[in-house]
Amino acid sequence: MATPVAMPRLGMSMKEGRVVEWPFGLGTHVAKGDIVVIIESEKTEVQIEATQSGVLRHIYVQVDGTVPCGKLLAALTDSADEAFDADAFRTANDLPDDQARTAPRAASQHPAVSPKSDLPRRAVAPAARALARQLGVDVEQVPGSGPGGRVTKEDVEAWGKRAERLVEVSAGVRLEVLRDGQGDPLVLLPGFGTDIASFAPQVRALAATHQVVGIHPRGVGASDAPQAGCYAVATAAADIAALCDAPAHIVGASLGAAVAIELALAHPQKVRSLTLITPFVEASARLLAVVDAWCRIASEASIQTLAMALLPWLFSEHTLSDEAACQRIVRGLVPSLAAVSAPALRRTAAGLRAWSGSRGADLDRISAPTLVIVGAGDLLTANDDAVAKRIAGARNIVVEQSGHALTIEAADRVTQAIADHLRAHSA
Amino acid sequence: MSRELPTAFAIGEALRIALAGDPDVILMGEDVAGGGTRPAGTDEAGGILGATRGLIKEFGPERILDTPISEMALLGAAVGAAATGMRPVVELMFMDFLGVCFDPLLNQAAKFRYMFGGKARLPLTVRTVTGAGMHAAAQHSQSLYWITSGIPGLKTVIPSNAGDAKGLLLSAIRCDDPVIFCEPKQILFLSSEVPEGDYEIPIGKANLVRQGGDVSLVGMGATVNIALQAASQLAQEGIQADVLDLRSLQPLDEEAILTTLGKTGRLIVIDEATPRCGIASDVAALCVDKGFDLLNAPVKRVTAPFSPVPFSRVLEEAYLPTPQKVIDAVHELF
Amino acid sequence: MQLTYERVLGAYRTMRMIRSFEEKLVELVNLGKMSGFLHVYLGEEAVAAGVCAQLGEHDYVASTHRGHGHAIAKGVDVRGMMAELFGRRTGTCKGKGGSMHIADIDKGMLGANGIVGAGIPLATGAALTAKLKKTGGVAVAFFGDGASNQGAFHESLNLASIWKLPAVYVVENNGWGEFTPTDYVVPVKDIAERARSYAMPALIADGMDFFDVFAKAGEAIARARSGGGPTLLECKTYRFAGHYVGDALAYRPKDEAEKWMTERDPLRGFAERVLSDGLLNQDDLQRVDGEVSRHIEDAVKAAEAAPFPDASEVTTDVYADSHRRG
Repeated sequence: MATPVAMPRLGMSMKEGRVVEWPFGLGTHVAKGDIVVIIESEKTEVQIEATQSGVLRHIYVQVDGTVPCGKLLAALTDSADEAFDADAFRTANDLPDDQARTAPRAASQHPAVSPKSDLPRRAVAPAARALARQLGVDVEQVPGSGPGGRVTKEDVEAWGKRAERLVEVSAGVRLEVLRDGQGDPLVLLPGFGTDIASFAPQVRALAATHQVVGIHPRGVGASDAPQAGCYAVATAAADIAALCDAPAHIVGASLGAAVAIELALAHPQKVRSLTLITPFVEASARLLAVVDAWCRIASEASIQTLAMALLPWLFSEHTLSDEAACQRIVRGLVPSLAAVSAPALRRTAAGLRAWSGSRGADLDRISAPTLVIVGAGDLLTANDDAVAKRIAGARNIVVEQSGHALTIEAADRVTQAIADHLRAHSA
Repeated sequence: MSRELPTAFAIGEALRIALAGDPDVILMGEDVAGGGTRPAGTDEAGGILGATRGLIKEFGPERILDTPISEMALLGAAVGAAATGMRPVVELMFMDFLGVCFDPLLNQAAKFRYMFGGKARLPLTVRTVTGAGMHAAAQHSQSLYWITSGIPGLKTVIPSNAGDAKGLLLSAIRCDDPVIFCEPKQILFLSSEVPEGDYEIPIGKANLVRQGGDVSLVGMGATVNIALQAASQLAQEGIQADVLDLRSLQPLDEEAILTTLGKTGRLIVIDEATPRCGIASDVAALCVDKGFDLLNAPVKRVTAPFSPVPFSRVLEEAYLPTPQKVIDAVHELF
Repeated sequence: MQLTYERVLGAYRTMRMIRSFEEKLVELVNLGKMSGFLHVYLGEEAVAAGVCAQLGEHDYVASTHRGHGHAIAKGVDVRGMMAELFGRRTGTCKGKGGSMHIADIDKGMLGANGIVGAGIPLATGAALTAKLKKTGGVAVAFFGDGASNQGAFHESLNLASIWKLPAVYVVENNGWGEFTPTDYVVPVKDIAERARSYAMPALIADGMDFFDVFAKAGEAIARARSGGGPTLLECKTYRFAGHYVGDALAYRPKDEAEKWMTERDPLRGFAERVLSDGLLNQDDLQRVDGEVSRHIEDAVKAAEAAPFPDASEVTTDVYADSHRRG
């Protein structure tokens, strides 16, 4: 049996909408409540949830197509292999073009979507608007780091400067690269859903001796976020390889460590040394569940809510018992989390899922001198030497009273360990 | 030479300088001499704060005029005397007592010059104790400067420390317009540096007392200290605050407010008074009206709640702005 | 003070000027040429004229909402007053005051006042200045029977008494406080009785008789000037017109008003007295009447021809913004 997905009518004034993104590829399973399509109406992007589970069987309106409300967009079928005639389904379920505007039929009276017409207008600080006008920046594109996602003047400034930091890594894809300091290149790769600010203490210290190169992967910060079902880890590694002219010291945290491992395996000539902070090769069920919740909260709640929800998963009992420290951490996390949009998170999560388990057998091929740092209280990735012992010659450090967000929680300890590792392998 | 005095003493010093330098200056108020009017020479009260103690011996009962508890006659006569050549300084014991003597200020002093086509001068100063913090409850603790600040023709100033109190009071007395000089309870017995001799602090100019850059804390009177305490705690978490002391509520130094807002994009105004129709609202309106494009966050007001001032120590603490309330408001902006 | 020929003639000119000025105002309002809240003094002319005849340049008066008479008697320029009532730039207050705020401090006139009783503490303050500066001046507060119920009255009399200020409190008891008969709201028969609470001497004058007012005011003012302290002087008088111009007067018995107007008109009484006593002759009176009439007509013409204030003046004169050097 097949179910139609139609252009919803969100509010009295909406006459038509544009398809912005199909987050799921054709043939993939969409669960009830998943974002089946993202549309834009009256300059606002709205995420439309599937009201039933099914396989995305046919897309009638491709990305950037603008159609009237009620128009058939796609069909979901119960299973991937059942019989389905796309044309017949359209004849039975779509509106004739001339009726669409005036007579929404049953399809939109019982829409296969859940309209979110009450989404608040995006908050932009007046100073941010004024600066955007002055810089000629489209403020609607700037991610907001203020309370409730408000776009601040600083956000616009950062966005305005992004052009000079964008480097093309493949046709039409530019990544944001932040350089600081002089010396041998040291590449920092942030974890899932965060930007380089999660390495802030390390950048400050290591820039004294190295050229620190912070790289925002696809969908992070001002880097391009091309439309795709998935941001594969291998693609991320290829992007880094394209950015590195010479061998570099590579430091990755969590998913960034996965990219570092992939880089060390696929592009070993680019890696001078490797530092893996809270790495994983097979994602635990808990890690995957947290990533799913992360995506969901980011699309439905404020960044503050997301930061608070993540706190117990990323930090140890020790840190959580200090209320003031928690408040400070949440404030610090907010801009970092705001740097990744909800669609980019979903694409990155899909890449993480796909990579998980794919390199387990290859770790022993890593030849670069490797340091692994884990937190003894980490709930999401290995909190012992499980990864290190699979890499020949790797040194393993377990930091007590720390969880997954080691670069923040054990900032000095991590900085010192990296510095020692770099010194040992720089000659 | 640097020395510290309590604000009340600095006020007394300003009065002595003004009286000595200008024979037209007279003091009028309840108990400004007190027992000092008795020939037997008992020690005079010198007003509720003792700020005028010693003055009657120095300047005599013709210039230090102890009045009946009769604020309407006192204020009204002061206005009449000011219009005819004197330069009276009135002590209205608590600003709450404005209720029984408002007309001479509201309808007479404030409007003479205008109503008479510019042909009047009203060199009148009304010193009055304002604010909570002494468990004095609902009729002796109000910060009613928002009322006088809203009346064209009156000027209203409020010092935040002893040194400013002396210089602002000398300015007020020498000003040819009626000036309400507020004396916030919470600073009256705090000591701070008071320069020697005669000096004036101009009316209408705010004072940037701390340079920050991340957020602007705008205070007046006692709330300047609250802002400074909040600022030093905020500095420990890496937030640097500008602290602006308004000093003058009318005229309001709009330029200084917009300048600090332009620097930080984030402004919090801290006012001991109730929130409606007040100085805090006025500053917020100014920021939105003339500084809209400078705003990087909403303007926040930290004020007393919309209630009378309570008596109990616990309730009064809950009523007043505190450094923590300011810090909480700052956190809402980042 | 002796009543010389000039003083008597001047007193008549003052009363005639007040009468003609205000009759002209009523006419202008009825013609729709003048607007605003106007309260006329018709019938009470002898009080202002009698008291002010005893005052000099350095003396002050504080007035009321019914203040044209006091202003004229204290020497405020009538042409300026007329222009003020027309709202012109050439007015006494540059068009910013109007009827209820006519003032000229240089002439010792502290202003008409829109607030009942508000002038009483102001005059008290002016008396304080006179005492402290030893100018020899006296301050007079004019106010009505209604104002004697205000706290400002009682507080001021108390203060003036303890400080022995050179002040005279002239209550113009005209029988009506706005639309309410005085005896309904004042429990004492004579408002003068109220002085006793403040250990203050009191006098009662026939407010329709210039000579009686002049004599009693002279006594009070002399006491004040010589350091004897304040006096409460009650002048029994009557308000010929309504509370304000346009008042239909339905609340007041017609025969009461008619009796006062036919039997006690202060101008007619004055004329009869000066003619019978031989102080002035008929020619004198007619000459003054003619002069006053021409003066008022000229004042109206000049006022109507005068420019209005510039709209930019709405925010000037709020503050002096000047400063005495320390």
